[in-house]
Amino acid sequence: MSEAIGGKGATELALPPLRPGKQQRRLDVIAIVATFGGFLFGYDTGVINGALTPMQKDLGFGSVGEGFVTATLLVGAAIGAIVGGRLIDGWGRKKTIQLNAFIFLVGTFGCVFAPNLDVLLVARFILGLAVGAASQAVPIYLSEMAPQERRGSLGGRNELAIVIGQMLAFIINAIIGATFHGDNVWRYMLVVCAIPAFALFFGMLRMPESPRWLMSKGREDDALAVMMEVRTEDRARAEMAEVRRLAEEEAESKTGGWSDLGTPWIRRLVIVGACLGIAQQFSGVNALMYYGTQLLKDAGFSDSAAPIANIANGVTAVIGGALCLFWAVDKFSRKGLILFGVIATTISQGLITLAAFTIPDGNTFKAWLILFLCDMMLFFIQLTLNVPVWVCLSEMFPLRIRGFATGLCIFVLWSADCILVFSFPIVVGAWGIKMMFLILFVIGLAIIWFVRNFLPNTSGRSLEVLEEHFAAGDFLINDRATPAVGHGH
Amino acid sequence: MSVMVVVPDSEEGAYALEAGVVEAEARSTSLIVVNLTLGEIDLAGVPEGLVEKVVSRRGKDDRDPVDTVLNALNANPDADRLVICVARRSPVGKFLLGSISQQLVLRAEVPVLCVKRPVS
Repeated sequence: MSEAIGGKGATELALPPLRPGKQQRRLDVIAIVATFGGFLFGYDTGVINGALTPMQKDLGFGSVGEGFVTATLLVGAAIGAIVGGRLIDGWGRKKTIQLNAFIFLVGTFGCVFAPNLDVLLVARFILGLAVGAASQAVPIYLSEMAPQERRGSLGGRNELAIVIGQMLAFIINAIIGATFHGDNVWRYMLVVCAIPAFALFFGMLRMPESPRWLMSKGREDDALAVMMEVRTEDRARAEMAEVRRLAEEEAESKTGGWSDLGTPWIRRLVIVGACLGIAQQFSGVNALMYYGTQLLKDAGFSDSAAPIANIANGVTAVIGGALCLFWAVDKFSRKGLILFGVIATTISQGLITLAAFTIPDGNTFKAWLILFLCDMMLFFIQLTLNVPVWVCLSEMFPLRIRGFATGLCIFVLWSADCILVFSFPIVVGAWGIKMMFLILFVIGLAIIWFVRNFLPNTSGRSLEVLEEHFAAGDFLINDRATPAVGHGH
Repeated sequence: MSVMVVVPDSEEGAYALEAGVVEAEARSTSLIVVNLTLGEIDLAGVPEGLVEKVVSRRGKDDRDPVDTVLNALNANPDADRLVICVARRSPVGKFLLGSISQQLVLRAEVPVLCVKRPVS
């Protein structure tokens, strides 16, 4: 998951136009290989959806164990995001992504051959480290290789790769579940994760290091050599100045730290950012992505139908995500889109709660209705709350505290995810899905109140203008509140 | 010789700057402004020609504002006085974020002039 998509820090420079040629093709290959990181991320998080039930039977654990299996990956991800953030600066982007691919492999085989729950939890934690680090490294690598005309679409591509990875995991799980039988079947599901990990590892061997990172280490000649590989020569030379400026800007973004939280307006912004991360996760998106199959079984689908119905979730997520990237994210104001999203999501959750409470169990109509409502909810989340929240987080902080503030918000976001995902099977096991969605609905109401009253609108303004408003204590930057002075005719 | 004044992003910052100007003028020296905010500071109220330079925080090494000030003192050996504005802090705030003023008073190798915000 990226903090580098669609950011608007870049001022347009007059550069020679991009021309098709072998450098463009090379860039396309780099984008495809690096996107395997996002794909792998999606596949590894999604594969548990469908693998959990046979895993539970095979290794013999209950709903608490279920929560642990899913949540340990996220604990690893929260830590991996922090460690990964350091590695990409110190070690370089390329090596960090390669290390990630290797850890993905170790974690995958650890899971596949786990003889008991304990080993499985350790392996899931290791896998989580790679997931978290990849979520940092891949979007940064992509945005640093991309020319400014294509930066937004390359960064967004990573988000799309994540949901496509999850969708493919659902599809392949359903196929494996229908072909193989026995409690061992989850091991076959998990071993498939090794394929994209191999592809990423060997693919990255031939990829160049990021020119911006090389520049930040003072290796200007190496940076130019990489630029020559992915740009025509005139363009490469012209772009070096921009690479240098962005490397300096990046260094500057790491200025602020804990002590700056003593400044009230900065503290307020960071708290709002952290709450936005919590809001994104408490929409329940990952609960559906990880527990969709179990949830649909609870709703009334049979053991064999639930994994197939779950594919609908994956497909809907991809459609919502694609619509967001190619249409919604630049079309509507950031705050408007997010506010619409939390309202639509909360309404969906309310309807699911209503259906679960009122329609008697064992009714096929109920199962289909809940599937439809879950998909409606997922569609709105992917359309309005995934990419827009990441973009908003990348835009709302002043440059000199951006590194620290986004890092802190991402950590809070992963922690929120972890808490929800851990408690989800426990709540569902004890009181059923109706109670779970009632809780999400009530939290959703609080989130609507928060977004409406506290979230600043970051779109359509330069970062400098935003910073001025914030420092002066004007956080909402409510357009309608602008006094209409001087318009008398 | 010069006076170095520490300007954080708070009301204290404005008072410190004021006191720094008074001190520099009284001692007929120039003023070095250490900007601890994460943006630019407004020096419009400072008499022209008084400010010798502005030191800002830039990059990872300046994450701790105390380091920024101590490094600035080392880099400007002619600064023979540090001016800061101190404020009461809640014990919790002090525990969580520490006290920049306290660090500077204890660690700066030049005399430190502490002014207080007037009680309103």
